[in-house]
Amino acid sequence: MLGEDKQGIGRRSFLAFAGGTAATAMLAGCLGDDDPDLNGEDDDADDGEPDRDDDSTLWISQSQDPTTLDPHDHRETTTDNVILQAYEFHLARDPDGELMEGLATEWEIVDDDRHQLVIREDVPFHEGDDLTPADCAFSINRVVDPDEGNLGSPQADQLAGIEGAEVDEDNDQAIIIHSGETNPTVFANLASYCPVMQEEWTMDREPEEVAEEMNGTGPYMLEEYVADEYTEFRAFPDYWDGEADIESLTIDAASESSTRINSLQAGEIDIATAVPPDDAPGIDGDDGLRIDDAPSTRILMLPMRYDVEPFSSQEFRQALNYAIDFETIVDEVLNDFGDATAQPTLEGYFGHNPDLEPYPYDPEEAERLIEESGYADEEITLEVPAGRYLQSDEIAQACVGYLDDLENLSCEIEMRDFGEMTDVLLDGDIETTPDFFLIGWGNTTFDAQQNLFPWFTEGTSQWTFIDEELEDLIFAAASEIDEDEREQLLMDACELAHDLAVFVFLNREYLIYGVNERVEWEPRQDEYQLAYEMSLR
Amino acid sequence: MSQYQFILRRLLQGILVIWGVVTLVFLLRYMTPGNPVDFVAPLDAGQETRDQVAADLGLDQPVYVQYFDYLFGLIQGDMGYSFIRSQPASSIIFARLPATIELALAATIVAIIFSIPLGVISATRRHEPADYAATSFSLVGISTPNFWLGIMLILLVSVGLGILPTSRRPIGFVPAMEMFIFQLEIQGIRTWIAHMILPAVTLGTYFTAMIVRLTRSGMLDELGKSYVLATRAKGVPETLVRYKHVLRNTMIPIITVLGLQLGTLIGGAVITEFVFNWPGLGTLIINAIDVRDWPIIQGSLIVIGVGFVIINIAVDALYAKLNPKVSYE
Repeated sequence: MLGEDKQGIGRRSFLAFAGGTAATAMLAGCLGDDDPDLNGEDDDADDGEPDRDDDSTLWISQSQDPTTLDPHDHRETTTDNVILQAYEFHLARDPDGELMEGLATEWEIVDDDRHQLVIREDVPFHEGDDLTPADCAFSINRVVDPDEGNLGSPQADQLAGIEGAEVDEDNDQAIIIHSGETNPTVFANLASYCPVMQEEWTMDREPEEVAEEMNGTGPYMLEEYVADEYTEFRAFPDYWDGEADIESLTIDAASESSTRINSLQAGEIDIATAVPPDDAPGIDGDDGLRIDDAPSTRILMLPMRYDVEPFSSQEFRQALNYAIDFETIVDEVLNDFGDATAQPTLEGYFGHNPDLEPYPYDPEEAERLIEESGYADEEITLEVPAGRYLQSDEIAQACVGYLDDLENLSCEIEMRDFGEMTDVLLDGDIETTPDFFLIGWGNTTFDAQQNLFPWFTEGTSQWTFIDEELEDLIFAAASEIDEDEREQLLMDACELAHDLAVFVFLNREYLIYGVNERVEWEPRQDEYQLAYEMSLR
Repeated sequence: MSQYQFILRRLLQGILVIWGVVTLVFLLRYMTPGNPVDFVAPLDAGQETRDQVAADLGLDQPVYVQYFDYLFGLIQGDMGYSFIRSQPASSIIFARLPATIELALAATIVAIIFSIPLGVISATRRHEPADYAATSFSLVGISTPNFWLGIMLILLVSVGLGILPTSRRPIGFVPAMEMFIFQLEIQGIRTWIAHMILPAVTLGTYFTAMIVRLTRSGMLDELGKSYVLATRAKGVPETLVRYKHVLRNTMIPIITVLGLQLGTLIGGAVITEFVFNWPGLGTLIINAIDVRDWPIIQGSLIVIGVGFVIINIAVDALYAKLNPKVSYE
């Protein structure tokens, strides 16, 4: 009796359980068949999911959501990547970083204080009004002047040296940018920073509204912004340079790289950014997917303070350069997604010196130089911001391993919080700067000035190494108008920095993307994935 | 003590606990290395911006003034301003809260649906294959880290079989229901369920395994008691004995654990949210920690703390209601 009942209850319970499971599985199966985001079918119902029509829509998944849609109120590349679909800089760059016409068609240094930009005519904003030179001047002033545009912009130092802008009294289609003194990087900066906003539109809105709406001149206009979830755009039909090929664009973010890669492999997205080198072969071997990569604008390096022992010794610094087998690190740790560097700036940058080679791997020479420096058997510590850059923890560990392998040197690693480290690096006080540390330095102006000036001239927020001759070269370049002269000065500065072994220059970071084969695109060096430059097969 | 007095007393205790949480969270900012201004201002902001931030947020005031300002602001629903996101922290946090609550509730429902039948089967078929299967499942479920389970489920179900989406929450439960009720359109609910299944299973597996064990041991304990023998002797069908009498008594500790775990799930969904890119409080906290968005971190922790306290009070009240032997004293 008990047995029968037990059997009966058990069977019913089991059947109920199994039935529930089967129903769930079937439901899941049905959902899987019809869910538009899985197979690209469109549906009239607005289920909150951006439509994904395979012929005309593109989905990019990056590592971080935009923190705002206000183009002047952030400092993140991931935010820029969203904003720059709709807003444009005054000047543009091609994918290799070369300066080209954008909203401005001509640019000229009028005199030491005055730089002229002639603004393109008949450029409409998304809401219909035409762009005016006053909007361009307003945008610059909003960044550099905390009293302008309801914003104290965190980007002010990106336009360092620019004091303000105004409409040219002699040419009402131009603006004059004031720099106070000679500033040859004004145009380079305006091709990398300070997107153009409409003055009236901006001033008519509360800051919170500017942070959630968009009205640029760019090829895409905002369709829907769900903070922390996705940003959806559609092509702006009246874009001054012609309507974009791809009609609809969605950008979202997943901070976990495996989430982005899984979405790519499941066919839910078209481009996954920041793919770890170890995952690249898996994506490349997947049908319908490929890996695209491009050298970035960021260089990884091991700065050393010039004012503390043993790093004050040139021989000691050179020894550290000789001690690290960076070719092997690039090969083994980065899966070849990296270029070894020999100087503070990067290939393709104005002022890069092509004649410089990285220090060769020569541990015996390193040991000899350490002996010569008088700092044999020193114990040094490399401070590393944890997990900040592509494989940077592994790179740091490998470097420390090479240094510690030297017979007359001990080296340890100390992992630190990036924010905490940034606090002491950017406070302008060299006394708080670590003696020896790893850092990445990005410079999207494609000009060596921004690689040299902040680190090697006294009084900047992160000055770390001062050499009088080097500083003179940098200052001379900063005030040289003649391009050839200036380039030579920057190249000389790079050569001197190499000879002095100011830092250990590691690798140029690579941008690695997982891409659906249907996307035609050449990745840019400045980390932006501009949908206007893409098309779908 | 009446039921209302009991609840009132627990509410007062809850307020004290919340005050403690708020104080701790506030002090955390000062116990963390670095200047609090740097946590709020953008990382590479200049000194001028930092000074401005300090003045705007009252961070140049003495700590006790800041503390009372913060408390007073909280009472008015003001959790501070996220400089990084250019929005009030409270609006960001409360926009994320439904996603986390939905996920925690769904995980709880998954746990209830699967665990109680499994626990009953396991107890009533002790030492039979079904029991071994259920206990093995519970052992595996308790031992499996949910981040690993989530990734495996994505690889198997989404990438491999292609039957469920890998991640995201394109629509919330409320909008999906509104779409269904007002437009008679079921697509929203289907999308919601499709995106919810894997995260809910991932988050709920540990929970399910735990409840299976609780149900099994509770049932076995109750089945051995004399009232069960008496009930059976009265001729009550075994089904009623087990479900009306035994399972009901077993449910009392299970409900307690369910309630407490729901609170834990709200705070503990961080990893699951992260793996599934679920836009809830968990991913918000992780992203806020990444960029040191301190008002968001503080506010989220307080919301989780408050949620935990409220659920605890509700469970206490329910527990006393369900089990008359438990005194309100």
